[in-house]
Amino acid sequence: MKKLVSLILVLLMAMSLVSVSAVAEDGSHKLTVWCWDPAFNIYAMKEAAKLYKEIDPAFELDVIETPWNDLQTKLTTAGMAGDYSTLPDIFLCQDNAFQKNVLAFPDMFNDLTASGVDFSQFGAAKTAYSVVDGKNYGVPFDNGAVIQCVRTDILEQAGYTVADLTDIDWDRYIAIGEDVLAKTGKPMLSSTAGEPDMIMMMLQSAGASLFDAQGKPAIAGNEALKKAMDVYTTMVKKGILVEVTGWDGYIGTLVNSTVAGTINGCWILASIQTAKDQSGKWAVTNMPKLPGVEGATNYSNNGGSSWAVSSNCKNTALAYDFMSKIWGGSVAFYEDILPSSGALATYLPAGKSTVYSQPQEFFGGDTVFTKITEYAGKIPSNYTGAYYYEARNAVAVAMTTILGGGDVDAALAEAQSTVEFAQGV
Amino acid sequence: MNRVETSRKTHTGRKLTLYQKQNLVGWAFLIPATLLIIWMCFYPMLRALLLSFQSGTGARMSFAGLKNYAYLLKDGIFIQTLKNNFIYLIIQVPIMLVLALALAALLNNPHLRLRGLYRTAIFLPCATSLVSVSLIFRAMFAVGGFVNITLMKLGLIQTDINWINGSGETARALIIIALIWRWTGYNMVFYLSGLQSIDSTLYEAAYIDGANRFQQFRRITVPLLKPTILLTAILSTNGTLQLFDESYNLTRGGPSNLSMTMSHYIYRMSFETVPKFGYAAAMSYVIFILVAILALLQMKVGDKR
Amino acid sequence: MKRRLVSILTYTFLTVTAVFSVFPLLWMAISATNTSQVVLSGSLVPGTHLYDNYLALLQNQPVWRAMGNSFTYSIGQTLLAMVICSLAGYGFEVFHTRNKDRLMSLLLMAMMVPLAATMVPLFQMMGKMGLLNTAIGFVLPSVSTPFLIMMFRQSARSFPHDIIEAARIDGLNELQIFFRMFFPTMRATYAAALTIVFMNAWNNYLWPKVIMQTNDSMTMPMLTANLMSGYVVDYGMLMLAVLLSTLPTVIIFFLLQKSFTEGIAGAIKG
Repeated sequence: MKKLVSLILVLLMAMSLVSVSAVAEDGSHKLTVWCWDPAFNIYAMKEAAKLYKEIDPAFELDVIETPWNDLQTKLTTAGMAGDYSTLPDIFLCQDNAFQKNVLAFPDMFNDLTASGVDFSQFGAAKTAYSVVDGKNYGVPFDNGAVIQCVRTDILEQAGYTVADLTDIDWDRYIAIGEDVLAKTGKPMLSSTAGEPDMIMMMLQSAGASLFDAQGKPAIAGNEALKKAMDVYTTMVKKGILVEVTGWDGYIGTLVNSTVAGTINGCWILASIQTAKDQSGKWAVTNMPKLPGVEGATNYSNNGGSSWAVSSNCKNTALAYDFMSKIWGGSVAFYEDILPSSGALATYLPAGKSTVYSQPQEFFGGDTVFTKITEYAGKIPSNYTGAYYYEARNAVAVAMTTILGGGDVDAALAEAQSTVEFAQGV
Repeated sequence: MNRVETSRKTHTGRKLTLYQKQNLVGWAFLIPATLLIIWMCFYPMLRALLLSFQSGTGARMSFAGLKNYAYLLKDGIFIQTLKNNFIYLIIQVPIMLVLALALAALLNNPHLRLRGLYRTAIFLPCATSLVSVSLIFRAMFAVGGFVNITLMKLGLIQTDINWINGSGETARALIIIALIWRWTGYNMVFYLSGLQSIDSTLYEAAYIDGANRFQQFRRITVPLLKPTILLTAILSTNGTLQLFDESYNLTRGGPSNLSMTMSHYIYRMSFETVPKFGYAAAMSYVIFILVAILALLQMKVGDKR
Repeated sequence: MKRRLVSILTYTFLTVTAVFSVFPLLWMAISATNTSQVVLSGSLVPGTHLYDNYLALLQNQPVWRAMGNSFTYSIGQTLLAMVICSLAGYGFEVFHTRNKDRLMSLLLMAMMVPLAATMVPLFQMMGKMGLLNTAIGFVLPSVSTPFLIMMFRQSARSFPHDIIEAARIDGLNELQIFFRMFFPTMRATYAAALTIVFMNAWNNYLWPKVIMQTNDSMTMPMLTANLMSGYVVDYGMLMLAVLLSTLPTVIIFFLLQKSFTEGIAGAIKG
């Protein structure tokens, strides 16, 4: 028995030793960061720290890998508990969730408008994601500009080139798609069933949102949304767009050559390039625009995230300096991270650098990065607001209903009332 | 004063003191566990109850009385999730328990060859982490995935079934399949254990009386296993009503929330959308009350039979 | 003839069930030996990339640190839960009174609370006590569970009262009786409890993801989530991580299988 008691005591002691103090020392040159993806965000953050060390040799950066889902859970729990002491100095926040978090937990964020970061140097559509009431709460990072990637070899079999797919509208795209499907047996693109990414990209490309300027849902009777739904359903029915299960299924269609192309945020390039045997067979161009919709463009955005400085940051002067000198001021930094991570900046001056204009072997020698930075400057802004996820979920439900043969207007009206209900709770 | 008291006690009969002493020792045995449950479960529950009477988004909450509970009745998604949970409960729990019972009865036969191998294989899914279960099942049941290919080769279907996103029925069927896959072995072990305590002479007697295997199963196995069956039924009901991982990871609640469970909806309301903790807490209390009612009902039914 | 048919049917049924049960795990193990591209093509042929996947994983994530953490937390939770809950189960049965039975029914209510509801208050409490990022913070909410208490209470029912009386006459105190007499006799129940608690602790995901906020405190399920969070997911590497995080629970079950069944038997007999 004594043995057991001592065993438990030893165990308890061992367990308290495992406890790691997360408290940062005051007055130091150390910052803590929460973000995800070792090959992308984390890599970029560490490179940024290396560069900043040249300015401030005592600078130290501690990156804690936290996937977005976990990060959001942590933010919410800390916010609800009213205890911000657990938050890091800087954290990465998905653009779609940025306004939601600022509106729900205003005390969690530092207003960065006067922090010294020059926000005019970033793409306007991108910066808009982290602006609430005219104040900047986030430093934009990765680019979510939408690109159309196509397999030139498959198009060639059907007698088309990339030029045929550039600056077109969806009607033309569908016509080409039918032809390609008939001649090669391959659908033009794939998307994840139940996820409304494609609809949202089309919507933003016409400068439309799911909410009006007052934050009221604008889903029912939204012409751009109706048109997007129509295009999507037509493509699924004609077999031009194939719906697959989950992210792995989607990536599978790309690397296994089951589709002739894809349309997504430019970060998809990294996944495409994992299929090394397809080098030289891919090309990049802009996305089709919605036909007959006012303000329609060939440019949109999907995904991406921005850096926030938390109210728990003890050394804001250091954090602001780090953000403005590196993330909002160093072309060299963006040149540095591009080759190995493929992390494309929304920092506009970087687009003019020579590193960005390097021709890419994989994409037939095209200067894809310059192209994408160019696209990024042309994206119409849209309003995400606090209830973006409610609206997105409602649109996903409507999409499934419409695909199943349901009435478009009725489905959108239903979605509208779902979001209105959520706003009332 | 103290001394008087003690001496009085020792004089007024030993039996009582011994009983009292043992009673106290008994309390000492269960106090750590009880305090922990009160501290780590009941207290937060109370906090959640208070939260369920408040409304607001994020950290800005104010007292709202029963507003959250009133809203629940009007929330189409909540009602859908409630229905889903009951579909899982009514279909999955009986199938799983019957299957587990049948497997246990077969594996209890001492003359069966490869018993240990079968038992281990059937229990194995239970040791699998939930992340892996969802990854594997999503891939296997994907469009163009292993299951569809096999079914087509067998000529059972003509075109791919979109299990996960095709319709509510297939998505719910998939969740039920995954649940059965993961938990049948677990319940089987309970039954196997229960069977070990049944005297084998009972079966021999029944055999002599001319009862066949099925009759033996119905007349001997099931009645004697009743307490175990009740236990597994309560545990499974509890688990099914609180179901989260399968809905969250496997079908993501889709399509159109047709396979989403209540716990998943609570999580979504708390962490994915604008945080509505008051509302989420109200939903948790609905689950809590439902589980409690069902557990009581099952115990009542179990007692009668 | 009929007997034969029955026996053929029995073996077929069992074999089919066993294959269905094992197949997904086999698929996972095979995938761990392939490259991401091959995994995505749905191949069932073992590849040669196991070691490459391992090196990639090692470079990408602190696997052994996470393994170590998961082991520390899970073993800690298992041992503490076994001691605390068996004490309580024993107390409820051996010294049972009306009030104690009432308390037991009350405690059973704790089984019915979804974690999503109590998470925020719990987080607040842990924060105030400075237990974030600690093993104690991990185990505290799940050390005492009504299910385990009930299991030990049921098993204690079959523990003969004469032994307790005899021990008391021999001058052993109640704790000594518990540790010297009850504990060794109930080995199987403890084995069953160990298996169940360890599995729950090892696979716990929602709670650690709330309270673990440093790289050094990460668990295996959290690490797997990390692997799925990037723009590019390496499925071969991911499957290897999933395989590694499944092995410990499988091994524990293999080792304790026999006592596990016996332990459950003891728990439901009473």
